[in-house]
Amino acid sequence: MGTTDHGHPLRFGLAAPTGDPQAAVELARLAEELGLDVVAVRDEPDGPDAWTLLSWIAGETNGVRLALDGLDLVRRPASVAARAAASLDLLSGGRVEVGLAPDGADEAIDILRALWASDPTPVTYAGTHQRLAGATRGPAPAHDIPIWVGGAAPDLAGRAADGWSVALDRVDADARRAGLAAVDAAARAAGRDPREVRRVATLSGPADADELERLARDEGFATFLLAAADADALRAFADVAAAVRARVAVARAAAGVRVGSVRSAAVRARRRPGIDYDAIPASLAERAVEPGDARYDAVRSNYLRGGSPGLVLRPRTTAEVVDALAYARRHDVPLGVRSGGHGVSGRSTNDGGIVIDLGALNRIEVLDPATRRVRIGPGARWGEVAPALQPHGWAITSGDHGGVGVGGLATAGGIGFLSREHGLTIDHIRAVEVVLADGSVVRADEHHHPDLFWGVRGAGSALGIVTSFEFEADEVGELGFAQLTLDASDTATLLERYGSVVEAAPRDLTAFLVLGPPRRGMPAVATVMAAVDSPDPDTIVERLQPLAGIGPLLAQQVVLTPYPGIVGSPDPGPHQGQGEPVTRSGLVDHITPEFARAAADFLHSGATYFFQFRSVGGAVADVDEDATAYAHRSANFSAVAFGLSRQRLDAAWDRMAGHFNGSYWSFETDRRPGRLLEAYPAATLRRLCEVKRRYDPDNVFRDNVVLQPAEEALLAS
Amino acid sequence: MTDYGHDLRFGSFITPTNADPQRVVQLAEAVEAAGLDLATFQDHPYQPGFLDTWTLLSYVAARTRRISLSGNVLNLPLRPPAVLARSAASLDLLSGGRFELGLGAGGFWDAIEAMGGRRLAPGQAVDALGEAIDVIRGIWDAGDRTPLRIDGTYYRVHGAKRGPAPAHPIGIWLGAYKPRMLRLIGRKADGWLPTLPYLGSLQALADGNAVIDEAAAEAGRDPRAIRRLLNIGGEFPSRSGERLFAGPLPQWSEQIAELALEHGVSGFILASDDPRAVAVYGEEVAPAVRELVAKERA
Repeated sequence: MGTTDHGHPLRFGLAAPTGDPQAAVELARLAEELGLDVVAVRDEPDGPDAWTLLSWIAGETNGVRLALDGLDLVRRPASVAARAAASLDLLSGGRVEVGLAPDGADEAIDILRALWASDPTPVTYAGTHQRLAGATRGPAPAHDIPIWVGGAAPDLAGRAADGWSVALDRVDADARRAGLAAVDAAARAAGRDPREVRRVATLSGPADADELERLARDEGFATFLLAAADADALRAFADVAAAVRARVAVARAAAGVRVGSVRSAAVRARRRPGIDYDAIPASLAERAVEPGDARYDAVRSNYLRGGSPGLVLRPRTTAEVVDALAYARRHDVPLGVRSGGHGVSGRSTNDGGIVIDLGALNRIEVLDPATRRVRIGPGARWGEVAPALQPHGWAITSGDHGGVGVGGLATAGGIGFLSREHGLTIDHIRAVEVVLADGSVVRADEHHHPDLFWGVRGAGSALGIVTSFEFEADEVGELGFAQLTLDASDTATLLERYGSVVEAAPRDLTAFLVLGPPRRGMPAVATVMAAVDSPDPDTIVERLQPLAGIGPLLAQQVVLTPYPGIVGSPDPGPHQGQGEPVTRSGLVDHITPEFARAAADFLHSGATYFFQFRSVGGAVADVDEDATAYAHRSANFSAVAFGLSRQRLDAAWDRMAGHFNGSYWSFETDRRPGRLLEAYPAATLRRLCEVKRRYDPDNVFRDNVVLQPAEEALLAS
Repeated sequence: MTDYGHDLRFGSFITPTNADPQRVVQLAEAVEAAGLDLATFQDHPYQPGFLDTWTLLSYVAARTRRISLSGNVLNLPLRPPAVLARSAASLDLLSGGRFELGLGAGGFWDAIEAMGGRRLAPGQAVDALGEAIDVIRGIWDAGDRTPLRIDGTYYRVHGAKRGPAPAHPIGIWLGAYKPRMLRLIGRKADGWLPTLPYLGSLQALADGNAVIDEAAAEAGRDPRAIRRLLNIGGEFPSRSGERLFAGPLPQWSEQIAELALEHGVSGFILASDDPRAVAVYGEEVAPAVRELVAKERA
């Protein structure tokens, strides 16, 4: 006996008929409906084109894996096939697998892997079939596309591939077992674990559960494809599949076989210490990303921050979040929780730790049109929420960037372009579902876990993982949106006027002012972005005119737009932040002449390249300061500055800090003791500590809001 | 003054960037929603920032119901003609006759060679394209029971099985600018698909039509068998010094109608990745052009 059960998760699928493409598509749809795992299309030289058919099937299905079997890369250029496979993987959300015809497969594997690699050097290759002369690599696929090779090449499969595929009706049992032994031997000879190679069997006739169970347990086959000719055959196969799954699960449990896919030696070599990669829960293993994976570069960093986590878990459901958290808690490494990855204070990535990425929990659903109640997952981004709500005539005030995730903003505050009219984002939350540190899942609202509900709205990152939010949206139609550019040479006067204009304006005006320092002989420049919640041109002009007069106007642009036009779309592609953001935050009630002068000095100190004043006040101040963990309700302005040097920014900011009466934690990255007390006044922080002791006594959630010993002492005094 | 009398088709030329693949798909869906007839994608298989055009065409065809799809234009040197023929027929069958074959001889030879393709001189590339058309038509001709044999200089097929036959007569449209390619269109192709800014002037359009018509007549074909399409969207000075496609919408419609009536263009493909522009083009410009042209033709 050459081999035994390798513990690969079992997969069952359709080997689509090749003659009639329409029939193949119908069976593929049925395979997905029946809950089968794979649809495979075979490359036949004289038939309809397999790649076209598989790409079409990708467009008609949502979850099933898509395999091209027997792909002949002698007949067509492997370089183009590499980009095609990566493209289909990107289009289909990482569902592609490639099976190669044995002839020329060794060179084809080299070309596919070389072009999929994230590496700026061009590929030159001189083989018998494949010759590349400096081809640019890319695109990287959405996941590590497994490559199988066909039956006649077990040595190659063992040495270099991710799978070995055999048609059961074409080889007898002895030849099959010899092939399996050859795969194992070749794998070991190449320094690989034989479990890295999945065994794929294609059946031509009706499947027998006993036979499949035997093939799985005794010979290590883990993927079974049925060359089904009609729907009835496929339905019968789905029943057999369920039986085989159940039987093999029982047998594996009894025999203590570990279930999971084994990553290659090259991937394992890049693992980080302190993380038990072999124990990743089965529900998360398939989508988990570790440093050696192709997908790693797309998930390691955030918008503003570079990261090198040891493991990124990507749950899709609340239950999977529970699994992820339980797993993470068994480790003594940093833990980050990520929604959109735009955090400033919230890190949501780390070096060598675990990240729970909530991006897949991104549903947006209307619960009750009458009360404008919507439920949104933390992984949705505001640039997706805005266009989803717009057809209803609704909006939820968010931040100023469409890429920001719902989870981060809605647990911190949320100061956006509707804040004076409609308050903070957190003021629209009516209920949340939270996974607590102990793994329990609770619903928190005014009546259930009211303390948790209080704390989630302003300091949620310290208390648990919110897996869904229920918001009450506002009715919002078209708005006026202006961008005004002003000469800010007389910075203090301009700021002071900005403050009084905004405070005097009706609530339908919300404005953000950004100051940039003088550069290369150019004066300091102010950019005002202002939203007027009215479709009426006269009202819009009336609100904007005073703002246009706060300094010499250099340029102006005004448009009438629905709310999605203000939020914008999320940037395409993965985050590629590097380093650490250097910021400070402060809240002020009024821009007094003294503060305006201090702020002007700060701008001209050269310590900042971006100094912003967002208007709050208005509806934000209608909420009691003890109603949520965001307490500084009297402030009319939220200031934030970005710098390049921590030391320089802190030194310059500290000189003006006396003018502030609080800060917005979400924009603060200074970690010297005392900062937390600026964001959360003593009464708020005491209550927060109590809530924290109840819901997260072991301080599992320590990535963002962290109480330091010195602050505890201050609190106690 | 030439009007070949074809029905008018309006389409869009979409950049197949892979940074946000679903956005590209949504743009194609927007083409359908706007009532346009055709979505097309450029094909540069050596460009790692793009999605593979063939894969994208197949995927988008599955996500749409009414519009036709085409490469604009597909890169022959990296797409072997026999495989391309079977792929095109397969997609035409799957989509119920919604595929058209925009094809080009290739131009970026360093990049083509880097990907393992064969470097050809421009004249050779035109001859190779001519042979490829024979291969493609030979494969599609499933009614012919004899195995396909083509003994070309660039492409050889020795006894390949023919088929599948496409669901409808797929148009082979060539991206062409120089006389040799234009003559090839006259002899063998079903359409001319240049890009207006590359042509440079309306005179070049008239000159190209004349070369195609003459070559068609020499080959015993009716020039009206060849559809003239045009990628538009750029700005350039026209004869009178006015700027085309830069003015208000009624002016756009008049300018396009003039291209149809005076230059025989019957396919107008707008290069745009802006769904709002696509909507305006489909909902306002195209119906106005159809009306103007119908009136003139009547």
